[in-house]
Amino acid sequence: MRKLTSRMAMALFAFGLFVLPVTYTTEAHAQAPAVDPAATQILQRMTAYLANLQTFSVHTQNNLEDELDSGHRVDYDISAEVTISRPNKLRGERKGDLIDQTFYYDGKTLTLYNPSENVFATEPAPGTIEEMLDYTRESLGLIVPVADLVYRNAFPLLMQDVNLAVVVGKSVIGGVRCDHLLFSRPGVDFQVWVADSGEPLPYKYVVTDTGIPSRLSISTIMSDWNVSPSVADSRFNFVPPKEAESTSFMPL
Amino acid sequence: MKTILKSMIIAITLVFMFIADVPFLFELLVPEAEAIYGTRRRTRRRTAVVVGSAASAKTAAAQQQTAAAQQEAAAANEEAEAAKQQAAATAPPPPAAGELLPLGTVAAALPAGCVSTPVAGVQYFYCGGNFYRAVFQGNNLVYVTTKPE
Repeated sequence: MRKLTSRMAMALFAFGLFVLPVTYTTEAHAQAPAVDPAATQILQRMTAYLANLQTFSVHTQNNLEDELDSGHRVDYDISAEVTISRPNKLRGERKGDLIDQTFYYDGKTLTLYNPSENVFATEPAPGTIEEMLDYTRESLGLIVPVADLVYRNAFPLLMQDVNLAVVVGKSVIGGVRCDHLLFSRPGVDFQVWVADSGEPLPYKYVVTDTGIPSRLSISTIMSDWNVSPSVADSRFNFVPPKEAESTSFMPL
Repeated sequence: MKTILKSMIIAITLVFMFIADVPFLFELLVPEAEAIYGTRRRTRRRTAVVVGSAASAKTAAAQQQTAAAQQEAAAANEEAEAAKQQAAATAPPPPAAGELLPLGTVAAALPAGCVSTPVAGVQYFYCGGNFYRAVFQGNNLVYVTTKPE
């Protein structure tokens, strides 16, 4: 019987060893992480600045991390030129892995054109960039480059449910000295690098999916910002090239 | 005695299993308003992600429901995207010659040997007894089996 109790005690001890870390983790999670106002202020300044730009263009270099079924990490690169004229014009040209595509939005219609196959699809579109972005994402399953930062009300959208905001430090992106910010909310972490003097433009943007074990990210490096380009309206209109084939979007 | 030991082992094993679940359990318990939004690829989707999910959650009347729906949609998307990407990265084996596919079958790329065949001014591709038509599925140009009209 004594033997039995000692074994039971050992078993209980082992039990405790397992249970203890569990309580620990829960407590650590329960602590509310800090939202540093210094970080949110920089983000707000950047989004407000972008929202007030009437016309701008930017070059983006995007890196998409993915995981093959074999478990290997693979990266895809896409280079994009984005031109925006508020409130209702956007053009994005993307070239890279698995994509060669131009997106046109002229305030009335949107068009997706694949030059290599010479195929396009045109759809009627809502009247503002923000509504159009929502529509393309939700109804057509389309993604427009750097859509996140294009929204005029980007700040509240980005900040929703954020439970961590930190100024990581200073960095230099493409020769521009930037404040490096980190934000976190359930399922997503994102980092933004914003020029620390002059125009508060973003130079890098990384979004990490924290809801999956592999924590894949998409990184965008922005360069060649032009905050007052002279862009003819025709840049946003799609004129089908000769013999281009018209097709449609598959319903989601 | 043996039974006590056995039950202890079972109990400990159960605790072990529980520990493995704790982080996930916790995540589920966190009131998650956002789901990761869909992009063409798993990663691309995340460009639109941060704002995308927030925007839709905001416009929705029943926020929680939307979030749940979005989450499902995002999850479904993600799987679809992953599958698509896989298809793009490693070309799927082309269907055997002469194999008639059901209408509406989606192929990431045209099977080898397809020939452009215009019918009434519309471009179709014909091979192996099937007619394909190019269609955008999100940002992807895919080929769908169809019946020329």
